[in-house]
Amino acid sequence: MSLARREFLKTVGLFGAFTFIKLHKLDLIEIFAQNADYWHIYWLNGSACSGCAVSFAQATDPDLVQLLTSLTVGDSGLPIALPDYMQVIHPASGRLALDFVDVWKTGSSTKKVLIVEGAVAGEGFCEVGGRSFRDLLIEAAQQADYVIAFGSCASYGGIPAAKGSVTGAMGVAEFLRSRGITKTVINLPRCPGHPDSLVLVLASLMIGEVTELDRHGRPTAFYGMNMHETRCPYRPYYDRGIFIQRPGEFPNGPAEEGCRYKIGCKGPVTNVDCALRKWNGHVSYCVEAGAPCIGCSEPEFPDGNMAPFYQELPGLPLVLGAPAETWGLVLVGATAAGIGAHSVKRVLTRMKKAKAAKKPPSSEVEEEAVTEEGTEAKVAEEPPPSEIEEEAVTEKETEG
Amino acid sequence: MPKFSIDPITRIEGHMGVELDIAREPALRNEYVVREARSKATMFRGFELLLKDRDPRDAVLITQRICGVCPNPHAMASVQALEDAFHVEPPAAAILVRNILEAAYITYDHLIHFYLLIGPELGILCAHPPMVPPALGIDGIKTLGLGAHYAKCIEVQRAASRTVALWGGKFPHIQSLYPGGVTVRPTLDKIASSVARMVSVWEFIATTAMADFQAILAANERLKAVTEATLGVRVGLENMGASTGNFLCYGLFPDHADYQDWLDPAKRRKSVIRSGTWSADGLAAFDESKIREYVRYSFYDSPSGLHPSEGETSPKRDKEGAYSWTKAPRYGEEVFEVGPLARMMTTFGTNWRVERVHPTTGEDYGPVEYVLRNPRGSVLDRFAARAFMLMLCANKAFEWLLELRDYMGEPIVNSMTIPNEAKGRGLWEAPRGALGHWITIKGGRIARYQCVVPGTWNWSPRDDLGNPGPGEQALQCGTTWIPTLTVPQLANLIQAGWGDTLARALTALNPAYARLNMETTDTPESVNSSIPLLIVRSFDPCLACGVHMIMPDGKRHSIELDDHH
Repeated sequence: MSLARREFLKTVGLFGAFTFIKLHKLDLIEIFAQNADYWHIYWLNGSACSGCAVSFAQATDPDLVQLLTSLTVGDSGLPIALPDYMQVIHPASGRLALDFVDVWKTGSSTKKVLIVEGAVAGEGFCEVGGRSFRDLLIEAAQQADYVIAFGSCASYGGIPAAKGSVTGAMGVAEFLRSRGITKTVINLPRCPGHPDSLVLVLASLMIGEVTELDRHGRPTAFYGMNMHETRCPYRPYYDRGIFIQRPGEFPNGPAEEGCRYKIGCKGPVTNVDCALRKWNGHVSYCVEAGAPCIGCSEPEFPDGNMAPFYQELPGLPLVLGAPAETWGLVLVGATAAGIGAHSVKRVLTRMKKAKAAKKPPSSEVEEEAVTEEGTEAKVAEEPPPSEIEEEAVTEKETEG
Repeated sequence: MPKFSIDPITRIEGHMGVELDIAREPALRNEYVVREARSKATMFRGFELLLKDRDPRDAVLITQRICGVCPNPHAMASVQALEDAFHVEPPAAAILVRNILEAAYITYDHLIHFYLLIGPELGILCAHPPMVPPALGIDGIKTLGLGAHYAKCIEVQRAASRTVALWGGKFPHIQSLYPGGVTVRPTLDKIASSVARMVSVWEFIATTAMADFQAILAANERLKAVTEATLGVRVGLENMGASTGNFLCYGLFPDHADYQDWLDPAKRRKSVIRSGTWSADGLAAFDESKIREYVRYSFYDSPSGLHPSEGETSPKRDKEGAYSWTKAPRYGEEVFEVGPLARMMTTFGTNWRVERVHPTTGEDYGPVEYVLRNPRGSVLDRFAARAFMLMLCANKAFEWLLELRDYMGEPIVNSMTIPNEAKGRGLWEAPRGALGHWITIKGGRIARYQCVVPGTWNWSPRDDLGNPGPGEQALQCGTTWIPTLTVPQLANLIQAGWGDTLARALTALNPAYARLNMETTDTPESVNSSIPLLIVRSFDPCLACGVHMIMPDGKRHSIELDDHH
């Protein structure tokens, strides 16, 4: 299957990045290899923990080594994605390291990518080579063709900007706007940033695809889905009302799982594809390790709805107007009677259809749009999420 | 006295620079050596402030974000501080899972340091191409072996971090530690999957990394021949970066069958790595009450010399005489080095030995042995200590994974309640050294949180007595040679033609690399900073960790905020 370039990120969203990369690895490598010029990368660390750089080193297919060694421009032997400056792995230190920032600045036009890791703190709280990080950022942003904020700190301030912070930390886009720089910033929040999203966004920039961003500046391919609604493998437990009540404690013995909602899972108010993509080469993700999602892809992280991490969200999202626990009780009865989950799904679908018939025309249009854009409806047999659930989620989003 | 600074120092965690005063040393044929060194941490985020008033349990997840290179140890120290405050102990299965998590994590961490962070300098100075970055790409790896193991390491460390992700949910920033235990259940699937991944890690460490370690030991003799010819004195890696000879270690990897031994940090005799101090007088028991933090040369205007559990700090960016955002922790008023070398000293003394038996085939590769070269520590001894930690952790991971099979279905968390008022502390070892978290809880919320981390110990500025920190002392140990030769010129002395190969590889990437590691002094003169860089990186600095502050209970700070808010 060859890759339709204009559909690149949409296809990513459809399959989930991991499956996409598996299917299109060769196309992806070809994209990198076909480029006749170097993509100059400037990886700038602000108020960061280097976790995003470490996370990037966990990228696979293509991995960091391929990016730096085998994906070369023509027969030049030089890597296609050349980090002129990247503090964490840079061969040079000191003055020469900073000289490479100038190398980046004079790189060929429309090939300059600025990747920022870490928040932008107030003046005096972060210096690089004796210079204010803020000044370095402004200079670089003015030169860059593309600005990528990798990780939650660069996107929205993240932990350094949490309640109680005294450094005035904020995200890159907010800071640049306050300085009159209106350049589009592609936000790839998560703590740390997910390497697949960065590799794929770089690839999409290289083929000239315009990345579709949501209202928080995030590519919809990775952030256009709700953890709880569309992707969570523990969703069936939620629908059956089976919950883990305390971290590390499982409701029905070691063989049974349970929904993480009661231990504070923020999946219902988090829009990201972790459950599908997972981490470290598709090994696991937070919720699979028995822990709650802490909503690290959302602008409000780690405050707002997300804190305290182990506290249940205020108000359980409703399943068709009833709390999931109620459905759980119904289901326990249903299962005992040997009816099984499918019949309940049919019941839900019938109830939904009945509701849809009563809906005013405007919401129908909205729902159509969602169905068209969403990918779940195409790959799964399940009915699209109910309007009531959508409302519940939207309500919470606006609260934060 | 000519001076120059290296800022930013790359291939470390965080923002750091050093200022060096250099002078010509008559005893070393009038070559330049470092006279005085000042280390500067150049970033401040104020973690303790933003922990205040939060649910104590959140500290485990938030403090990990202090550092994306060593998130696991912060989670471990934090969860133990909470368990101390909550009066709850993890069940044996959880201790095993934690040990597996940490062992796999340390193999990842030390491999990265071994090859990606300090590897390039060692590779260049020892004419050992596999450890130099693969500057000529695949072709260079094939024809010159240039970067062969550097590139392989990136692949292998992924297997290690995938094992961490299996038990932690993801890496960096794991999610599965919870006060009273862990949230992740041991399953045969996870155990088998971990064994499969860790076998490749074990094999790489036991063969490739140990061979590279031996290669560096051998090449060190070549280096000494060069220094003898140039300086008139044999200066090897074992003479570079000698520091105080005082070592401090909190202990690591508790015995899951005897957690009581672990709970008293002064004991910790059954843990794989033992707590204690090592100095000229030999081994002594660790005494937590001897820790103090000084701030005379740090950007804080709060009282100096407080114990971390009582610490009080407020940032003052324009403080007279201050030059770093790190404080200066001291143990009994003395300067102590922390890190892998300290772990070796408190556990094995000066003669180290670790077995090398293949965990699945049983094939014996023969033990690895080492005798401490310099009682004050050195680049070589620190590098050797990491090599030993690598082998030790790779071995232990399998022991624990197999042991864990007997605990499947056992409880992984003990129940606890958050007390209204309590204090707790968690003492652990990050890869870079002793890591302590101290918490005070009031009204069920965090009232005070304090971390004293390896970066603060090793890269502290001068203390109130004017004693430089361990890293500063290592830089001004007297033999920190500052050649005026360029890197390729120096490399050609070490092995004929090596410098030319290196120059070709580097300048192919960019002609500017001909000036690799060259800095300009204020005189102005061009000097080579390779050896101070090697010394700095031998500590594997982690500066994001080093900079933090606490909020004294109930007091407000007046801090100038920037235009934001």
